[in-house]
Parts: sequence; structure tokens; C-alpha cells
Amino acid sequence: MILYYFIASILIIAGALLSRNKTLTALLAGGFIAGQAVFTAYMLDNRNLTELGYFTFDSTAIILMILLSVLSIATFYHGLVYLKDEQTENFNIYHAGFIALIASITGVYLANNIMVTWIFLEATTLSVAALIYHHRTIRTLEATWKYVFICSTGIALAYVGILLLGISIKGVPGADLSYQSLTHTVVHTDPVYLKLAFIFLLIGFSAKMEVFPLYTIGIDANYVAPAPVSAFISTALVNAGFCAIFRVFKIFTNSAVASWTNGVLIITGLISLLIVAGYMQRVKNFKRLFAYSTVENMGLVLLAIGMGGIGYYAAFLHIVLHSLTKSSLFYQMGQAHKILQTYKIFKTGSYLKLYPVGALVLLLGLIVITAIPPSGMFVSEVLIFKSMFAGNNWWIFIVTALLLCFVIYGMSTKVLLMIFTPLEKEIQHPVKVNPFQSMSQYILLGVVIWFCFSQPAFLVELLTDAAKIVK
Amino acid sequence: MTTLLIVLFALSLIYFTISERFRTYSWLVGFQGLLLFGISYFELDQVNTLNLLFIFAETIFFKTIVVPWQLNRIISLTNDTRIHRNTLPGYYTVILASLLLVVSYIIGNILKTPVIDRIYLTVSLFAMFTAMLFIITRKKIFSHLIGFLILENAVFLLSLAIGNEMPMLINTGILLDIFISVLILGTFMTKIGSEIHTLEAENLTRLKD
Repeated sequence: MILYYFIASILIIAGALLSRNKTLTALLAGGFIAGQAVFTAYMLDNRNLTELGYFTFDSTAIILMILLSVLSIATFYHGLVYLKDEQTENFNIYHAGFIALIASITGVYLANNIMVTWIFLEATTLSVAALIYHHRTIRTLEATWKYVFICSTGIALAYVGILLLGISIKGVPGADLSYQSLTHTVVHTDPVYLKLAFIFLLIGFSAKMEVFPLYTIGIDANYVAPAPVSAFISTALVNAGFCAIFRVFKIFTNSAVASWTNGVLIITGLISLLIVAGYMQRVKNFKRLFAYSTVENMGLVLLAIGMGGIGYYAAFLHIVLHSLTKSSLFYQMGQAHKILQTYKIFKTGSYLKLYPVGALVLLLGLIVITAIPPSGMFVSEVLIFKSMFAGNNWWIFIVTALLLCFVIYGMSTKVLLMIFTPLEKEIQHPVKVNPFQSMSQYILLGVVIWFCFSQPAFLVELLTDAAKIVK
Repeated sequence: MTTLLIVLFALSLIYFTISERFRTYSWLVGFQGLLLFGISYFELDQVNTLNLLFIFAETIFFKTIVVPWQLNRIISLTNDTRIHRNTLPGYYTVILASLLLVVSYIIGNILKTPVIDRIYLTVSLFAMFTAMLFIITRKKIFSHLIGFLILENAVFLLSLAIGNEMPMLINTGILLDIFISVLILGTFMTKIGSEIHTLEAENLTRLKD
């Protein structure tokens, strides 16, 4: 099935690029996204099946694939609205890049071999570059150049990490670079090589997960990309980075450096939070604000993994809920830009008066993303704190809580300013947005709120299985 | 013979730090490609013929011909031929590079293991440090690109150390090369050159908070 999936992806990308008709391209992309959902359903029916030797439908992959399908549908819809007046050529390149990105992310989620993960992460850089450069301006050129250059450097460093792993298992009979094999073989290998490999891999993949140290390119990419693409980068692509880091982390859980890797993740998570707490106060652009919020949430996820125990479950739950929330906020930003004609925080205002449906999305989104009840993210953050208490890591809890206060303050003041503060200048040629276009955002945020009260049994079972670390 | 070629590779890195002309960088990148071809030829004696041909094609075709050709194209397009400003003066860079060689040797000694020849580790580390030096201390995007190409060659050299056991690792490294050649060199450098008519990194600092 996966072979057909990749062949179909290539053919549809080629079709979209060769098409001279926007309707045909939209139909091709829509067909692909429907196929993506069917493929995810097929995976659910065939759990733990391995295809072509390198792709396994495990619980981690299935959860992320369900999310990917949901996000693809919503992003596709908002993309069509965003590109309504776009020229055919740009429309086609956008959709070809979008399909390539979905297919590459799928490869990252399903890969059971570190080398395959690496290859598909490399492919995401290539496809996302086409999307970031969509507006063809000097700013998009700068962001794309930085994204490609830093991601490529990160990818090269991750490759060094893989080489070091390769060196450490050299000579072990039957050893290969599949995650399963590595989990068993690294137990007996040199801890110095393992530590170096982990550091290189973490640095390399941090560009995709948008955590310290290579988080900056994600911020710039989110800033200049079309709003639906920002939503997708901040969720599905970030989840690909999470998937890669979590799978690498699992390799080391039985090795001599297990507790050391936990410490590294905690430090990385805390530094990410610290950076965001500072930048949230001075950021002047809404898309950058929400991009920093992604860094904050991914920092929390790393903290959760570093804590272990219930933290693994909390990390997965947080990933799911963050994806739904952040995407809806970015979709709403696209609509807000149409109405306010700017992303600059201090040039916005009166949003409640201009577009009450959208203002309510922002208000709800603010409550949900800052984990204020009834947000489902409240549950995941409580679980993260619980994992800290379980390990008696009180100082980490205090620092995290303090930094989160700064983040919540920074974000709330800016979002509330946009909703309630009167505009200084009247908007020239105001544009109307059909309230129906905000429907998907209400659905996504509704799901996150529902998670505060109830979590479906099948999802809990999937999350528990994905969070299982075999010792 | 392999050792001699690796030593020549290390010397080419020092030459990189001394030189200030872009054409010399381009020539050196090609020369390193040739050296990597030689090292692959002598080192990879257990790899099957198809894999070996793939590696040879990559080192000769991409690293020695395509990449320098693309670099020269960019130089002609932008009419930028040499470094005008460094963050560090040239002689400091050379001293720093020599220090990095010593540091690489020490780290290589610490990391020495029976399964890998120490010279691979030392020179690969030195190349990685040189690449970072280029990216951090040079102001022009072209130099950053050269830094990246050196990093890529460092990684390729390290992959040759375990290439006999895991040829897939080298093949994947080749994917990185092709990816970079096509995307960075072909598309973005040309685009940046034609859009902003210079390769000063300072012209790409509009995105701020």
C-alpha cells in the first residue's frame, strides 16, 4: 500500500505542476488528501504491519497520521480560500509543494529506520521551501534561504549523529540502523559515542521540531509563509521533528546514557521556554507570536519526555492538542490579515467590531493555547507537572511555571489588544470574510475543549501504546 | 595511500582558511572532490560494484565537476570575486584554524576506537570546525555556502570510515550532496544573486522581531 501511496504522490505532484487549470489542480490535490485519509484508515486496520521493510504502522505513526489527515483537510480548504485570486502557476506550485510536504511527513512518521527518517526529513526541507517562497518577495527569499541553509546544516549534523551511531555499532553482528536493532545494540556500546550521537541528532532535528538551538528558522518561515502553510509548518512538520526526536530518544532508553539524555532534553526544553518567555514580551508580529508559542509548547513536550513516566503520555497528548489549537489560530490569522491588512500587533485593533466570529475564535484560541480550563491542554500540562512531581523535580516545576506566566502574559496582552483596542486609523477598502470560513477553527478548538472533559477510549489506548517505553 | 590523501585533504582545509578569492574556493572544492574519489577508491574494497560506481560518479561528477561549475557561475553572475570584509582578520583565522587542528587531534585521540582509523576522525572533525569557522567569521553568503560544502565533505569523509560495513550510509550522504547542489547552488544562490545583486549576508537581515 505504501508503495502505491508514494507512486500516487509523485504522479499527482507531476500532474499539479503540468496542469494548466486551477480546478484540475484543486481536484488532484483534493483527491490526494482524500487518499491520505483512506491510507490512514488502512493503517488503523493494519496496526504494527511493516511494509517495504522500512515503514511500520505503529501507534506513534498512527496518531500522527490521524492528525496529519485532519490538518491536511483543514489546510487544503484554507489554502483554496487563500489562493482564490492566485495565478495558475503559483497555485500549482503551492499545491505540488503541499502534496510533496504531506508525503514527506508521512515518510518521517512511518519510518522504522533512522536513515529513512533522515531522508524524509531532508525531503520536507525541499518541499516546504517551495511553500515559504510562495510570495516571491525579498523577505520570502531571505526566509527561504535561511530555512534551506540552516535546515541543511542541521540535516548534515544529524547525519554526523547517525554516522557516530554507525561507528558505535560497527562490528556488532546483525546490527543495522533500524530503531528496533539500535535499541538492542546500543546497550553494549561506547557511552561517549552515544552521547555525541544524541547531541548531534538533537541539534539536527531541532530545526524541524522548532526547539532550541535551531528554532529561529521556523519562526522566520512561519512569519513569511501564507497563513495556511504557517499552520501546517507549526503543527504537522513540527510533529515530524517530534517524531524523529522521540524515536531517537527511545533508542537510548536502555543504554548507559539514558538518564543523561533525559537531562539533555530537560535542559533543551527549559532553554526553549526561557527564550520564548523573553521574546513574547517584545514580539511585534502576530505570526511570529504564534510561532514562538510553538517553540514554547515543544519545549514543554521535551520537558515531558525528559521527565519520563506519565510524561510520555502527556507529551503525546500535548502534541495532539497543540496541533489542533495552533492550526486554528494560524487559519484565523489568515482571515484577520484580510480584514486588518497587517500582521503588525500595534497596528491592529477593533477585531471584535470588524469580525466578531473571528474575534471569538481568537479569544477561544487564547484560552485554549494558554491551557486555561476548559482547555484540553490544561489536562496535558497538568500531566506534565505531575511527571515533574513524580520525580521530585520541584525546581524544574517552579522555573517552568514562572516562565509560563511570562508567556501567558505576553500572549494575552497582544491578542486582547487586537480584539478590543480601538483602531487608530480606519481601514482603507475593508474586506468581508464569510463567517462559514471560520467553521473549521471552531470545530478544531471544540475538539480540544471536549478533551478537557472526555478522551475517546481508542485514542487513549493509542496514546498509551505510543508512550510505552520498553525497558 | 589513503592516509596521504587524507593528509592532503587536511592541507586543503588550511589553504581554504588562507585564501580570500572565491575562484580559489571553487577550485579547492573540486580538488577535495577528487581527493574523496581517491579515498573511496582505496578504502571501499568490500563494497559491491554498483554501489562503488554510484560513489565514484558522485565524487567525480558532482563534487569535482558540477559543484565547482555552479560556484563559478554564481561568481560570474554576481561579479563578486573575493572576500572584502571578515569578522576576523585573515591571520587570526589561520591561527584559529591551526588551533582547531590541534583540538581535532586531541578529540580524535579521546574518541579513538579499534573499529575506526583515528585519522578519519581527526580530519573530519577538523573539516567540521573549519566549516563552522567559515560560517561564523565570514560576512558573505558565498563563504557561508563554502562552509556548508566543507561540512558536507567532512561528513562524506567520516562516512567512508564505515563505508565497507554500511554502504547505505554513504549512498544517503550522496543524497545530501545532490539535494544541496540542486537546491542551494542552482536555485537560491542564483536567485539571491539576481534579486539583491550582491552576496553580502547583511542584505538578508530584514526578518526581525
